[in-house]
Amino acid sequence: MSIEQQYRTRAKELLSSGEVKMVIGYSKGSTPDRRRPAFISTPEDVETLVLDGACIANLSGYLVTEGLLSDEKRVAVFLRPEGIRAINILAAEFQLNAAQVEILGFNTEGNEPTALSGSKVDDFAELIGTLKGIIPDTAGEELYKKLEAMSPQERFDFWQSEFSKCIKCYACRQACPMCYCRRCIVDNNQPQWVNTSSHTLGNFEWNIVRAFHLSGRCVECGNCDRACPVNIPLRLINRKMAGEVLEAFDHFAGSSQTQEPVMASFKKDDTETFIL
Amino acid sequence: MTKILYTDKLDNCVERWRSAGLSVIGPVRNANITAYRPVGSAADLELSQILPDRSIKELFFPQTEPMMRYSIKKDAINTEECLPPVGPRIIFGARPCDASGLAIDDPLFGWDYKDEYWFNRRNETVIVSIACTKSDEFCMCTSLKLSPDSTKGSDVLLRPLESGKGWQVEELTDRGREAFKAIAELLTEGAEAAAPTAVVAEKFDADACSEWLRNPENFESRFWKEISVRCIGCGSCTYLCPTCHCFDIQDEGDTFTGIRRKNWDSCSFALFTMHTSGHNPRSTQSARWRQRIMHKFNYFPGKFSANSCSGCGRCTRQCPVDMGITETLQEISKLSQ
Ligand code: SF4
Ligand code: SF4
Ligand code: SF4
Ligand code: SF4
Repeated sequence: MSIEQQYRTRAKELLSSGEVKMVIGYSKGSTPDRRRPAFISTPEDVETLVLDGACIANLSGYLVTEGLLSDEKRVAVFLRPEGIRAINILAAEFQLNAAQVEILGFNTEGNEPTALSGSKVDDFAELIGTLKGIIPDTAGEELYKKLEAMSPQERFDFWQSEFSKCIKCYACRQACPMCYCRRCIVDNNQPQWVNTSSHTLGNFEWNIVRAFHLSGRCVECGNCDRACPVNIPLRLINRKMAGEVLEAFDHFAGSSQTQEPVMASFKKDDTETFIL
Repeated sequence: MTKILYTDKLDNCVERWRSAGLSVIGPVRNANITAYRPVGSAADLELSQILPDRSIKELFFPQTEPMMRYSIKKDAINTEECLPPVGPRIIFGARPCDASGLAIDDPLFGWDYKDEYWFNRRNETVIVSIACTKSDEFCMCTSLKLSPDSTKGSDVLLRPLESGKGWQVEELTDRGREAFKAIAELLTEGAEAAAPTAVVAEKFDADACSEWLRNPENFESRFWKEISVRCIGCGSCTYLCPTCHCFDIQDEGDTFTGIRRKNWDSCSFALFTMHTSGHNPRSTQSARWRQRIMHKFNYFPGKFSANSCSGCGRCTRQCPVDMGITETLQEISKLSQ
């Protein structure tokens, strides 16, 4: 039986037994190479689920949709390793109860899906341990190396030119499972902390706020990068920040449900005398 | 016999227009994205892409623009109006769906108050469109009663020659004729055939959709939730859309001095209709998606007799979760049968 069929069968069992009220997975998209998020709540509909190498979107963000988990019922969701790490972060930050999440874990090698064994987030602890420090998706690595080799001024110029394209749609935020705030700082308008204008200042403000708020939280799923309508290589910023927190704090985002957020925890014996 | 503009003359045309005081704008590829931008020579133009990634509306209605500067002193409040920069421009290589998008929005920006930010620019811009000979699976102009060679909103329409070496020239308006006078001697009279335009299949029946939308019973239909459950409210469909026109007015500055700006806004955002009280009449993403469809295919045609969509397909092409106008209207077409 193909992995796809095995997972359909599992999804069907979960729904028929009432163990979960919904399965969030992928189905066919509007073109042969597109997949789209699918929300399945009846056993008959599991046949529309698709699992292959084109299933790349991180679906964990849908779990924090207002009201979805408030009835304490469980939901199953197809997740790659980055998505599983995201569940750890969402649990550590008290955004969901991980016991309500049934994980249909998978990865892909080439275009072929591979199964990951486990169903609760803790079942994947060992797997996540082996991923520490590995970039999940090496897209853009060449550019990343080029940026690292640049002088600060050249790098600044590069990002200035990239940010000048930003149209302030905040698609990067909406697509990110870690950007769950009901009211983002940029949506606060009394006072307006961050300009909504897409001028140089506004674009820098936003992209720097995003970089900091995701430091030590980004799981490098690439949702932001793929959502950006003007093709700013956003994941490279997050990759850089992930590298920094790994080096400075030995922090690999989403390692466990009890991991302390690196930028939002303060200890009396911290060497720093200020909080950012 | 028709007038023909050969590609190898294009550089001279750009030069002529520039020396006649026009700034020349066209599709330019830069940093992985194609947008309408000023060009220095014909070599800067990217005319082979099906259509630019970013729409033409930014040239008339930019993401952000100053409306007023203010300063408040002890005994006086000073305000200074900012008007858009002026100067004649020519846009070379617009796509017919982009040009029609502008014509669709004209009545909106002019029905009660003539928006000078829009019209000052409209009145100084010549639009030279190129008929499409290529399309992709997302193009849907024909479902909106337009076509790959529609002339709506254009001052001149160019039809690519079969040989690929130039274009047949069809001057449509006085403004277009005036701009082409400056390059008259670079044009040739000829009988070369034009390449066939792209074949864009009709995807839905827009009239039937509008009728379904007008039926008040369908406002609360379960359909809205089902069709939009995956929408993440990212707004890129509205920001890339040539006809979406919503904006917000923001003051940037401090208590004493600042600038009032007009910035894009989007019905996909939760904040769009949030009241000061905290109540939000469009509290769910499905209500926001319904608004987008209702506005484009019910309210807008009710007021201005045209759908607020030119069928460019950008909303579907770019959507991170594979939604878009097309699928919704295809489903509504089915429901209305
Ligand atoms: S910042 Fe981008 S890559 Fe990181 S978790 Fe969010 S969407 Fe994924
Ligand atoms: S998705 Fe891209 S264009 Fe939109 S706000 Fe983010 S960086 Fe800017
Ligand atoms: S339909 Fe797609 S592009 Fe538009 S707001 Fe929703 S997710 Fe974003
Ligand atoms: S609604 Fe979609 S297809 Fe219609 S004009 Fe806007 S972006 Fe283009």
